[in-house]
This record gives sequence, C-alpha cells and structure tokens, in this order.
Amino acid sequence: MVNPITTNPVTAETEKTVMTRREFLVRSTVIAGSGFFSIGLPGLLAGKNAQAALATPAYTPAIWFTITPDGKTTMHIVKAEMGQHIGTGLAQVIAEELEVRWEDVRLDSPLESVENFSVYGLAYTVNSGSVTTEFDRIARAGAAGRIALVEAGAGVLNAKVADCYAESGRVIDKASRRSVGYGEILQKVKIDRKFSYPDDLKGITLKDPSQYKIIGKSLAALDIPAKTNGKAKYGIDVFLPNMAYGALVVPRSRYNSKVLSIDDSDAKKIPGFIKAVKIDNSMGKCTGWVVAVADKFPTAMKAAKALKVKWDAGPYASLGSAEMLEQYKQLSKDEKQSANWVLEGDVDKGFSDADKTLEMEYTTDMVCHATMEPLNATVQQINGEWHVHVGTQSTSFARMTLTGYLSSVLKKKPEDIKVFVHQYLVGGGFGGKQDYDDILAAAYCAKETGRPVKLIHTRETNFATSFARTPTYHKLKAGIKKGELVAMNQDIVCGWMGARFGVGKKGGTDWLQLDSWDEKKQDIDQWSIGGSDHWYNVKNHRVRAWNHENTTWAVQASALRTVSNSYNIFVVESFMDEVALAAGRDPLEFRLAMLNGKGGNRGIPNSGYPAGTGSDYYMDQLWISLPWPKEKSWPVYESATVGGALRLANCLRVAAGKSGYGTKKLPPNTGMGIAVTAAEERQSPTWVAGIAEVTVDPATGKFGINKITIAMDPGIAVNPANIEAQIRGSALWGASQIMSEKLTLKNGAFEQSNFHEYQPIRLAQVPQIDVTIIQSERHPSGVGEPASTVVAPAVANAIANAVGARVRHMPISPEAVLAAMKIKA
Amino acid sequence: MPQLSINGQSYFTDSPPDAPLLWVIREDLQLTGTKYGCGLGVCGSCTVHLNGQPVRSCMVKLGDVDSNTVITTIEGLDPGDAHPVQKAWIEAQVPQCGYCQSGQIMQAAALLAANPNPTSEEIVAHMNGNLCRCATYSRIVGAVHRAADLMKEGVNHG
Repeated sequence: MVNPITTNPVTAETEKTVMTRREFLVRSTVIAGSGFFSIGLPGLLAGKNAQAALATPAYTPAIWFTITPDGKTTMHIVKAEMGQHIGTGLAQVIAEELEVRWEDVRLDSPLESVENFSVYGLAYTVNSGSVTTEFDRIARAGAAGRIALVEAGAGVLNAKVADCYAESGRVIDKASRRSVGYGEILQKVKIDRKFSYPDDLKGITLKDPSQYKIIGKSLAALDIPAKTNGKAKYGIDVFLPNMAYGALVVPRSRYNSKVLSIDDSDAKKIPGFIKAVKIDNSMGKCTGWVVAVADKFPTAMKAAKALKVKWDAGPYASLGSAEMLEQYKQLSKDEKQSANWVLEGDVDKGFSDADKTLEMEYTTDMVCHATMEPLNATVQQINGEWHVHVGTQSTSFARMTLTGYLSSVLKKKPEDIKVFVHQYLVGGGFGGKQDYDDILAAAYCAKETGRPVKLIHTRETNFATSFARTPTYHKLKAGIKKGELVAMNQDIVCGWMGARFGVGKKGGTDWLQLDSWDEKKQDIDQWSIGGSDHWYNVKNHRVRAWNHENTTWAVQASALRTVSNSYNIFVVESFMDEVALAAGRDPLEFRLAMLNGKGGNRGIPNSGYPAGTGSDYYMDQLWISLPWPKEKSWPVYESATVGGALRLANCLRVAAGKSGYGTKKLPPNTGMGIAVTAAEERQSPTWVAGIAEVTVDPATGKFGINKITIAMDPGIAVNPANIEAQIRGSALWGASQIMSEKLTLKNGAFEQSNFHEYQPIRLAQVPQIDVTIIQSERHPSGVGEPASTVVAPAVANAIANAVGARVRHMPISPEAVLAAMKIKA
Repeated sequence: MPQLSINGQSYFTDSPPDAPLLWVIREDLQLTGTKYGCGLGVCGSCTVHLNGQPVRSCMVKLGDVDSNTVITTIEGLDPGDAHPVQKAWIEAQVPQCGYCQSGQIMQAAALLAANPNPTSEEIVAHMNGNLCRCATYSRIVGAVHRAADLMKEGVNHG
C-alpha cells in the first residue's frame, strides 16, 4: 500500500508511461559477447531509460526470464521470498509454458530503481495474491517465449514452423525428428519477435491442465538448500565497507512522542560509540527515534541504553488497551458515524419479523508480526546515489518512501534523488515488512555519519515499534425465524489501517478508496472490515463499521496475515455456532444449508470481477495497473470466485468427513468445532474449512488442541507439497493467535518486550494436522494465509462444545474458559 | 586480541570481552548463518555448538570462551553441507522463511550426537526452545527421525 508521502512525481510519471505500452517483445540481444534471450513487457523498448539500459553491457536484461546460450533459464522474481517459496511456484508456471527443463531453472531478484520499476512494475508481496495475479500473464509470457523459440528453431533446422514443437528446452522437427537446443538457437539466430498487446497475447492458447508436466508437481523449493547451511542471505546479513551500526533507543510512545533532549555523556565513555542521531521525523515516521551509531552492534546497543533521552510523550501518552475498548463501545452508539460495508435486504424489518433474536459482543486483542528476523536496513550513500539493502515485502514502496523522505530532508526534488533497493530474503513477513521506517532511519544515520549504516532492531525495539493489528469491538445480532437465520447485523469498531497507508480520501489519496453502501458514499476501509462479508445466504444482512482514528495512529495499525479476516472470521464463525444453537440446529448442517451458492454468493462465472463494484476498482488498482495498462482488458483470467459458496460447502463436507465430525467418539471434556473462510478478499477467495478437536481441563480452564483438519480448494495446485506446508504453517499461526498471542498498550506504549512476554506457538503445543487439498482446474488462488483464519473460531467452537463455555474474545485464556463455564452453570 | 576456534579455523576479533558471542560470530567474523532473534536465549535462532553442546550464543560473552573452546556454527556442521540433519531437512522441505533454521538444525544435530535414537517426545522436549514463526514445526519431528535413520545408514556426516 502506498504511503501518503509516496504520492510524488515518481509514481505519477510511471503511470503515464504505462498507458502507452502496446507491444510485447521477445528478443535476443548481444551483451558482453553472448546472446541473451529476454522476454519483455509491452513497450520494453519504448521508454528511453529501458532503451539506454539495453545498450549498456553491464545491464542485466529481461523481465520474466532470461535464457542464456548455455541453455539455463533465470526467472526474475519480483515477489519477496519470505517463506512461501514463491519463486519456485512462479518459475513452475513459466517453465511449463516455456518448455524448459526444471533442472536448468534459476531464480534471481531484480534491483528496484526508477528505471526498473517502469520495466518490472510494482514489486509488492501481500494479500496471498502472487500466484492468483501472476499466473495468467507469466504463463502467457512463457508461451510467447516458446513460440518465438520454435519459430527461430525451425529456421535453424531448416524445417517448417508448423512441423516444429518445443519440449524440455529443445525445438523438435516432427518430420525429420531432428532437434536443436534453446541455447544453440540463441547462438545461431537473433530473435526479434513482437506480440501485440493485448490481442496476440490473449490469442495464445495456454496448455490445458491435463497437459501439465511441471505445474502440479511437488518440486523441491529452490530456496531451501541455502537455508540449511548458513548460505542464505537476509537483509540482516549485509556487509558494506566502512559500515557502522545503529541501535534504536526504545521510544517513549509507540507514536508521536517528541525528543526534547539527548544526554550522551555516558554513551561517549563507551569506546566505539560514534554519535547519537535524532532521526528526522518530518514525514510523520520514526517519531521519537534516537539511534545510537557505533562501530559495532553490541556497542551501539550499549550506547542506546546509556543515552538519556527526554521526550514529550505526545498525544497518545495516556492511551491504553482498556481505554481504547471503552472508547469503541461509546463510538458504536453513534450510528451517524458508521459506514455500511454490507447492506442486503431490510435488516431491521428482518429482526422485527423474527421469532427470536440473539445479541452478542465480541472483542479481539492486538497482535503483532514478531518476525524471527527483526526489522533492519542497511543504507549506503555513494556518489549521490542511495543504496538500500533490505529484505522487504515491497522494494518499490521502499524506494518511493525513501525518495519522498530524502526529498524532504535534503530539500531536493524527488526526481533528483536516486534510490536503489537491493532485495534479500525476508526472514518472515506476515504483513510486517511493508513499512519502511527503519530504511528512513538508516538513511538518515548514513547522512549524519557519512558512512553506510546497518540499523538492526533489537527484539525489544522491534516490539516497541510494532505495527499492530488493531484491537476490535463487535456487536452482533441475529434474527431467527422457524430455525432459519433471516437477519444478521455486525457492527465493527476498530482502527482502520488503510488511512495510514494512504488509502482513501482521508489517507490523502483516492488510491484504493471504496465507497460505503449507503447514500453517504463515504470512505470505507476494506482492509479493516473484510471477512465480515461472508458467503452464507442471509436474506437481510448488514455490516456497519466505525473508524477509531486514534487507534490507527497510536498503535500504527497494520495488516497482519489475512488482514481483517484474522479477527472477523473468528467473530462471524463463533457467532454462527451460537446462532445454530439458538435455532436448534447442528452447526454443520446449519452452515451447509446457507452455503447454497445462490444470489450474490454464486460467484462470477468465467471472467473478470463483478463490474461496477468497489471490489473491481480495488483489484484493478492493486494488481493490474502496474505495469499493465489500466483498461479492463486484463485480466483475461477466470475469477477465483467461480463456483461461489458451493465450493466452500464442498470443503466443509470434506473436512467434516475427514475429522469424524458428528461420528467420532470423543473422550470427556473434548469437543469438535467447525469454521469456514473465504479469505483473503471477497474478490480473491480461497475456499477453506477447518475443524478443531480440543480437550479442556474443567478444573483449570486450560485447553489443548488435539487435532486440526483442514480442507482447502485453491483451484489449480501449482505445487501441492508446498501448499500443504503453507496450510500447516498458517493453521498453526491461527492456533497461536487463539491460544496465546496478545499485545497490549499502556500509556501509549506496548507492554510486551520479547518472546518471554509475547508467546507464539512452540513445538510442544503442535497438534496433529490433517490437510486435504481439493484440486481443480479453476484459476489458482492464494494459499499462504487463508487457513490461518479458521483455526481460532474452530477452537472457540470446540471449547463451547466440550464444556459449554462460550468465550467471545481472542485470544482465549484459561481464566476466560473458567469464567464462561460458570456462566453456563 | 581474543582468538577463537570456529569450524576448525582460527579467528581473531577486536571486540570487548562483554560482547555477546553471537554478534562476534555473525558481524565481526561474518559467519552470518547464526541468527539473532531475541538476545534473551528464548528463541534458539543463535544456537551454536560449544564443545559439542548446543548453546544460545546470544547468552555467551566473548570473555567466556577462549581458543580452546571448540565452536561449531552452521557453516561448519559438515564440510559438504551434507550432515544427516541437513539432508533430512532438505528431504522433508522443512524451511519456509528459513531464518530460524540454522538454530533448529544445530539444536537437532546436538540431540542426535548425544542420543542417536530419540523418541518423538525426546525430540519435542529438546527442540521446544527453538521458535519458528512460520511454524514449520509439523515437519521438524519427522525430519529429526529421518536424520537419525540416515546416521544409522552410515551416511557421511563429516
């Protein structure tokens, strides 16, 4: 997501050039004496920068891939490698259509710069969107490459093009059975083939899934070997000549404290201490930050502790978790301030017509990403160029943000500032590496010291500067008539994260702005409310949302794995069980009856996204506009919504059957709970059902998860073994969220400082996990996050079924289970 | 200037005696396979072997070791990067983001050196101090069993 400061000429200019692209070039070019074969985006040579670049011997050519005369193919992966093995998955798609041998495939990651941005487009890895959004176009790029090679190969073989086909890196003449390797073709022929955009590209017939040889195979991830021997390089592993280290002083408040004075008299006594740098916070970032710079990192840490800093604690100095919840409750009473996210039927009439109604309050605590690799950045200034070395979810936004910051700090025009971002492996992302404060601070320290600076967060400063998932408060109401759910209302109060990323008018841009479904048509933040728009057919359904703006800024609200699904699925799916109980129905049968795929839950057949909705706008803006033209001519691929709620019902049946739901004999105080999700977004669903089996100790309220059963329908499964790994990891992420993860704010600062206080799941707590991947020939959807959302509600429902304790808060503590058991008794 | 013996080689560092061994290894000597995660000994990312024992290097001061201490990091676990644990890790495709995996592998290798036939319970108890935020946990126990089998098969492990 774009930050307010990034609405600078860099973005605007690039968008203009995007509009002019109409060609897709496949050509070989002579670089440093070797024939390289590159495949480019439309208009690769249209931009003068790209043209200049291609003429430069040192330039690393190509967009999606480069084939070298030795027959090896390097896939250029703009997506961040952060545990999802995305490079392997995307390379499988290209290799399939390009017809290269898998053992000849290599990966690399392009440098981010203004020039390369206009070639590669937006480097941004979020929202479980990489395979969904890239699949079709990279498959076509691979196919275009194959077509060009077959044509060239036919020439080399002196054969008819129609008689030739490609297989395993060779072009073969059917008639004579002679063949020539891709590498040899490149040595003999100069390829210069144009495909018109969009017609030629759209006209390419992609393989039918039944022909797949590489897609659908559980190939070993290409990034794994280096992760077993210490050779894998993360951002924190960078070294530059004459590099100094920076360690942050724990700021007084999470946000907007102001440094009043710095006493460095004790720090100066520490050998190796260089200086204390008060970070420029003119962009509203790095507020209250003081960095101790030293020749070594332990020295920097020691100096950071020795610095005596005085702060004005700022506007959130008295804010805490308890105060925020109280303010949410008050805010929810003011209906005028709400915006409708979902509005179907007449909800109020539905309630008045109902036989009975059920009203419940739900709350969720903050959590944070707590990636194993703490945030860090290394910045070097050479000859007026700024080089950033970092593992980040967006090298593009990192570049744009630093450009804007330096423009302010150095009082220069953005176009006069040259920033390059070098991507490294990301030691855990989960949404937590799409902020760039550390890069700004490292750059400022580099400016102040004249040396490259590696800024590393200690675990303590990483927690103190967490980008938290907002706390949430929900009011739910159900109207039940003759055992049916006829009306449902969900009120959600939380801090909307979108504004912090520049989303909507309030964020300072119109970017990704959605309108509410009411006459007010006001900004509404999909990222904070999504997931409440479930796939059950409920005739009268309303979701109202309130933005608590102080939260957004005070805790620097952010996206955390599945974004708002991570709390809304817990709330919706817990409440569904409560409604089923009140309606006298079994939760499984009750859900299946409402997942009937009718009306708005039928999904969109065959193409595109629902026209004329905010959803369409969103997908276009986020995924499609860069580097592809903005017209609705792309995507040509099938919507992931095809099949609609029926696919979700199918997952639920599979998971229920495999878990033995309703049939397995359970020990005392043991229950099963079910839940479904269509995360990540309404427009990009991955269909998932989850069942948890949980045993509760009625004396203490402690609970343990015995088994998690997951069934997922991701459409085409590009790499099934990796999908299973993603599902297992995300299921345990969900288990961790419901069992133990909790971040709290007190006096404007987070209370947890390290892993003894903030406790993610450990090996001993890992239950048995049963995974079913329901493969189909539908367009693939994302797998890195969705399964994480079903575990929390499934566990909550299992606890209720085990001992009758309904806990309406996440995480669930043993004390809360005990208290709920008493209410039941 | 303190001298260290790491992976069979001698290294010198100008860091002070109170510097955590972790930072000496990864920043002074640039053996970056050893990772910083918490600095409190509660996550296991920085696990190395001191005289064969798995140790959280963030909790050891430079002054606590000398040139007689045999220090092994992930880079020196096996000369061909083919220790049975490393082989089993690749076979089971354990790593995701990979950041904690050097620590996981060093912890597992130390277990198998002391106990070639661990039960699943023993593996869990021994590995429980190593955090993995990607939660690769469900492949770890199986991979340790597999590494134990590979060791028995006499696979070269340096």
